[in-house]
Amino acid sequence: MNATAFTRRDFLGTLGTGLGGIAMASLLQPEAFAAALPHHPPKAKRVIQLFMNGGASQCDLFDYKPQLIARHGQKFDPGVGERVEASVSVPGAVMKSPFAWQQHGQCGRWVSSALPHLARHVDDLAFLMAMQSKSNVHGPASYLQTSGFLLPGFPCAGAWISYALGSLADNVPAFVALPDARGLPYNGRSAFTAGFLPANHQGAIINASAPQPMTHLQPPADATHITPASRSEGLALLRELNLAHAAERADDSRLTARIASYELAARLQLSAPELLDLSGESAATKQLYGLDQAETADFGNRCLLARRLVERGVRFVQVWSGQGGGSDNWDNHGDIARELGAAARKMDQPAAALLVDLKARGLLDDTLLVWTTEFGRMPFSQGSVGRDHNGGTFVSWFAGAGVRPGVALGQSDEWSWKAVEDVTTSYDFHATILHLLGIDHEKLSFRHSGIDRRLTDVHGHVLREILA
Amino acid sequence: MKRLAGMILAVSVATGAAGAPVDYARDVRPIFQKYCYECHGPEKQKSGYQLDVRDVALRGGESGNAAIVPHDAKKSPLIRFVSGEDEDEQMPPKKSNRLRLTPAEVQTLRVWINEGPAWPDEFAGAPKAAEPHWSLTPLVKPTVPRGGANPIDAFIRAKLAEKQLAPSPEADRQTLLRRLYYDLTGLPPTPAERERFLSDPDPKAYEKLIERLLASPRYGEHWGRHWLDVANYADTHGNDHDYVRSNAWPYRDYVIRAFNEDKPYARFVQEQVAGDALFPDDPQATVALGFIAAGPWDHTLMVTVREDTVDHHMAQNLDRDGMVSAVMGTFQSLTVHCARCHDHKFDPISQREYYALQAVFAGVDRANRPFGPDEHTQAARRQLLMTQRALQQPDGVLLATLETAALKAQVAAGEAAWARREAAWVPFEIMSIVSTGGAALTRQPDGSWFVSGPRPERDTYIVTAHRRGGKLSAVRLEVLPDDRLPQRGPGRWDNGNFHLTEFRAFAAPAGAGEEAKPLRFARATADHDEGPAISAAQAIDGKSETHWGVHPRYGEPHEAVFELQDPREFPEGTTFTFLLEHQAGAAGHGIGRFRLGAGDAPLATAPLAPLPAEVTAILRSPPSGRTPAQRQAVALAMLKMENQRALAALPPPQLVYAVTRDVPPDGENFKPAAQPRPIHLLTRGELGKPGDLIAPGALRCVAGMPPELVIADVSDESARRAALAYWLTDERNALSWRSIVNRIWSYHFGRGLCDTPNDFGKMGGAPSHRELLDWLAVWFRDEAKGSLKALHQLIVTSETWKQTTLANHGTARDGDNRWLWRQNRARLSGEEIRDTLLVLSGQLDLTMGGPPAVQFNSHGDATFMSGGNPAFLDYQHFDPDAPAARRRAVYRFLFRTVPDPFMDALDCPDGSLFTPVRGASTTAQQALAMLNDPFLIRQCEHLADRLAASGGEPGSQAESAFQLVLQRGARAPERAAFATYLQRHGLANACQWLFNSSEFLYLD
Repeated sequence: MNATAFTRRDFLGTLGTGLGGIAMASLLQPEAFAAALPHHPPKAKRVIQLFMNGGASQCDLFDYKPQLIARHGQKFDPGVGERVEASVSVPGAVMKSPFAWQQHGQCGRWVSSALPHLARHVDDLAFLMAMQSKSNVHGPASYLQTSGFLLPGFPCAGAWISYALGSLADNVPAFVALPDARGLPYNGRSAFTAGFLPANHQGAIINASAPQPMTHLQPPADATHITPASRSEGLALLRELNLAHAAERADDSRLTARIASYELAARLQLSAPELLDLSGESAATKQLYGLDQAETADFGNRCLLARRLVERGVRFVQVWSGQGGGSDNWDNHGDIARELGAAARKMDQPAAALLVDLKARGLLDDTLLVWTTEFGRMPFSQGSVGRDHNGGTFVSWFAGAGVRPGVALGQSDEWSWKAVEDVTTSYDFHATILHLLGIDHEKLSFRHSGIDRRLTDVHGHVLREILA
Repeated sequence: MKRLAGMILAVSVATGAAGAPVDYARDVRPIFQKYCYECHGPEKQKSGYQLDVRDVALRGGESGNAAIVPHDAKKSPLIRFVSGEDEDEQMPPKKSNRLRLTPAEVQTLRVWINEGPAWPDEFAGAPKAAEPHWSLTPLVKPTVPRGGANPIDAFIRAKLAEKQLAPSPEADRQTLLRRLYYDLTGLPPTPAERERFLSDPDPKAYEKLIERLLASPRYGEHWGRHWLDVANYADTHGNDHDYVRSNAWPYRDYVIRAFNEDKPYARFVQEQVAGDALFPDDPQATVALGFIAAGPWDHTLMVTVREDTVDHHMAQNLDRDGMVSAVMGTFQSLTVHCARCHDHKFDPISQREYYALQAVFAGVDRANRPFGPDEHTQAARRQLLMTQRALQQPDGVLLATLETAALKAQVAAGEAAWARREAAWVPFEIMSIVSTGGAALTRQPDGSWFVSGPRPERDTYIVTAHRRGGKLSAVRLEVLPDDRLPQRGPGRWDNGNFHLTEFRAFAAPAGAGEEAKPLRFARATADHDEGPAISAAQAIDGKSETHWGVHPRYGEPHEAVFELQDPREFPEGTTFTFLLEHQAGAAGHGIGRFRLGAGDAPLATAPLAPLPAEVTAILRSPPSGRTPAQRQAVALAMLKMENQRALAALPPPQLVYAVTRDVPPDGENFKPAAQPRPIHLLTRGELGKPGDLIAPGALRCVAGMPPELVIADVSDESARRAALAYWLTDERNALSWRSIVNRIWSYHFGRGLCDTPNDFGKMGGAPSHRELLDWLAVWFRDEAKGSLKALHQLIVTSETWKQTTLANHGTARDGDNRWLWRQNRARLSGEEIRDTLLVLSGQLDLTMGGPPAVQFNSHGDATFMSGGNPAFLDYQHFDPDAPAARRRAVYRFLFRTVPDPFMDALDCPDGSLFTPVRGASTTAQQALAMLNDPFLIRQCEHLADRLAASGGEPGSQAESAFQLVLQRGARAPERAAFATYLQRHGLANACQWLFNSSEFLYLD
């Protein structure tokens, strides 16, 4: 079989145009193939998304509000006649951030002292200062920000992009998820699901720090009867068996696709060790990402891995900061200074390093780097020094390919309680990512249960204000 | 002023220069033609509305609201739409980018309406006789065409002839055997079974085999699994924390049993929608309600998030939406949930009807529901629970009966028993009391102590006390409600709970310098424990990480009784010291109000819930001085206590996760609905815009069926579901019967006659063989009497089903095989692959039913099986030889958000969405799973051991492996190649390649 017969789209799935795969392709991916992709010339070839699991507090990181300092300790009364709701607590008093604020860069963005490294690069970033969620609760809000729907079962952005564009190389998956070493995010593996899209588009999970980072990549260690020779000779045997079987059933393209799937699997097995091996990275690079410090090592390791993945052709990499559950994430109900401080220290230096590294390697020209979370937090206190969930306003930023650096779109109210000006949503956020990849978010759809589903449901506007 | 001028101008334009009235043909129709006809005209009738036909134009479309109100332009929705008052409703729609009416044109329409509207007969038009959508027509049994003994074949062949196609020959017996075994049982035939069938000379051998397989319990396990896909069953709730749903499995077992018993379909439907109401004393009919509750449930939104938030209310709405979707998608094959925010865009289902269906489920929540264990107990419990409800909300009839002699005697006996019991407890005389955490303790008039002030992370109350001398056998700790506590306590935490880590007691003889000796407890029991791991026993286990708590029963008194290991006399003057320790878990969980009592008699039974303080106050007053109201309060309390005692004495029920109105409240936010919740129509599905209050009802689009539900008592929520259950199983309900026969057909052929089994609407697939579908539906209803086994039998005995899968002339004409000129080739499902591995390795454990087989390792919360959430799941290192690994796949634990990667790669559904049709992907992940999964590899090793044990040279071993895995002999070159291979790399490797072969993975 000719190795080049695989198109990039085909990796980890099915297809293989060299094996009668066109029939296969139309069998398995009718809609995507019907649409002419890309819809317009792309600015970005690939995306790295940093996802802060738990609801990163906008008013302790990027959304500076003098009112919170001036009214610290006073009863929270936004004066708009609207009921103040907190999802799991009784609204407390106005609370200023325990972190100091300062303006940074040419653009003069305010960044708190929780993020000293990222603060140095604000001129490279385009901020969405007034994002809004439809939910104040992790499960639905995370689904919304990963898949565009509040309920489980819908494909994530990475899966849609895999479905639309495939990967850039034939030996890596299109969509990779790098969960926190401490555990999966809220919604578990559903956070990287392909939903109703074909299964090959789900996020390939790499547990970067585990002894076996990828499930089923190698046989278990105790299966000593399996050797390289047993495998290579066996694969040849299997191929003979399957070719003979398929020859008698020549009209069934699934059978030829199955033969191809083993070749693709072998290629993934071959490429993975090099992909995951960081030993070739320079000491300076490792230091840049903070691999030498306990606090930053995990996220740094995964940011560096993200760079290696996109270098090798992965289309969409999602790096998670924080696990699900009640601690070790951005869900800082108890003590903003302590809990958010720790979460920020783990993320800040590696995220900044990724930006610097991508830039230095020229990758940032056609790689989109996105930082986001499922919602923000309240301007008033929970307990004494924590904050409850706030879907009313939160912050995300974009950097890299096709992004206008140093700008900010939208504003929250004077409290950082609700987004009020140029409010943006997960739909706009995803429409913009797809747009940069050359995809019209209204045209990328898949028929499921009687409805043509989109990543952006029936909403979404491309945020041209932050595009170069 | 400007506006007024505009109006005058408009009027003058509208009435024409000469002031003539608006003329339909001259003034109005051109406007309709220009702006409206494209979507609401002769060609298209969006939402069933058209402006070229007078009746429809006036009457309105599918929404059921008149579009034009004569003489009242203001009230006419048409004017509201075209004027664009509301951007979201404006017509032509904003999104269409079509030209909008000018203000003058709108005014013309206003005048026209206010003046009449005059619409001459000659322009009245006639509505196109719209052909009703195929699925919504009445069910009429078509005539069977000639040309086949089995009516299925007759219909299929008639269509084939029409399409100039010919049927394929029957598959060979070997192929047929393997196909039939997997189709009916999900397992391969054993070599002996294969031998028996292939050598059976009886011409009825095939029919006999079908009977045998349908009678096998394996049938129910296999077909039950199909049903669980449809129901979206799993063993966790799903969503962010994905807690374990400990009692889902009885429903899974119910489904398997129902299939095995061949429960008539109508009864099967009725039980799953309203089994509790229709068959109240049949425990299994209650278990069936697990269907409505089987899908995901958002624990955070329903339990954690505050009840007064928009999020919580929305969650309740979506929770009901899930129930409606499950019932209507499964039993009617309709996508009614599309009408949650607006009228259904494609099917004639209004938003009003959608909310009428929500109203059917307005009285229930998803929760654990007691059932059985047997019919007698179930009946007894039902009676007692009815009494309990009546006592909680007594009506006049009940109150009158309180004065009867029988009840009076019962009350008096209860009061005497209470008095004896109370007399056994004498309050300790408190000498000193202090909180190590700095809380303030104040004595209350009833001898209890109230705690206020700081709520530190850890707090121990140190109590020293005396009592008069005598035997001490137990200490009672009463924890009491108080209006000053959160949720009225009895705990100090926000939700009213406390965590009593440890309760310790010491006794020191009188006299200075005497050492206090610890008193050891033999047993601790409480009237209410949060759970088996959070019970009074945990307060004497010496562990600082466990505790007693009373979640979710707040605002009421509770008590724990600590029985001494060594009951004995303590002389007067003994100083007792008690430590009430709150050491672990969440901070601030101190007891808010309590009292300590000493008892000297052994206790016969576990403590019953203490009576409310108001009642005990009355009981302490002399009976003669009580007011009628007080007598009534006592009587009710005593009857409740007696009723509770009787309930407690029944054999303990089992639990099933189902729907129920008797939900134990879980915290402040998840509370049962005392009455069915009011359901409002929500414009655009938004809570902020509640519309009309909607009564329970069904759909009017189902031909032959009235949209009304006949509900005896709408305040009885189960009567609502019972009415819907009857509506769904009505003989006239064409959708029900079409839906099920199509669903069953789809599993036999890999594709339904309508290929969208959950959507028979306009966006679903059109049936390939409409007459056959209708014939099957009527036959199934009338002749088979809803027997699924009869339907299977009819299908698998048809020539159509028995055809080969091989290509022939049809490939070019109908490559998709829509007309069934051959059988479809199917990939084995994940369950079939896993079960087959176990069969061939000799490891399969055929034990049926019971709690799910956990096939993963977990770290973190060790109590996760009772409703927790393990932090990490590890499937890859789970011992493939553990007993749980050997069960059939239908029994494995299904974790919604962390599915088994092996089964996931093989397209097993993850329980996030209903799965009426499974995917059958071919991916590199799947290849990697088949190559490297530890479970699969271990089964190959076991199979290798079996083969090796029977000895033989390599060639015959290869032959045996082919016979077992592929169910055929090896051809000479295959035999040679495998013999060479297994000599070099062993049998286990050789077997694994056979399992990876397409021939194994696909059914011809």
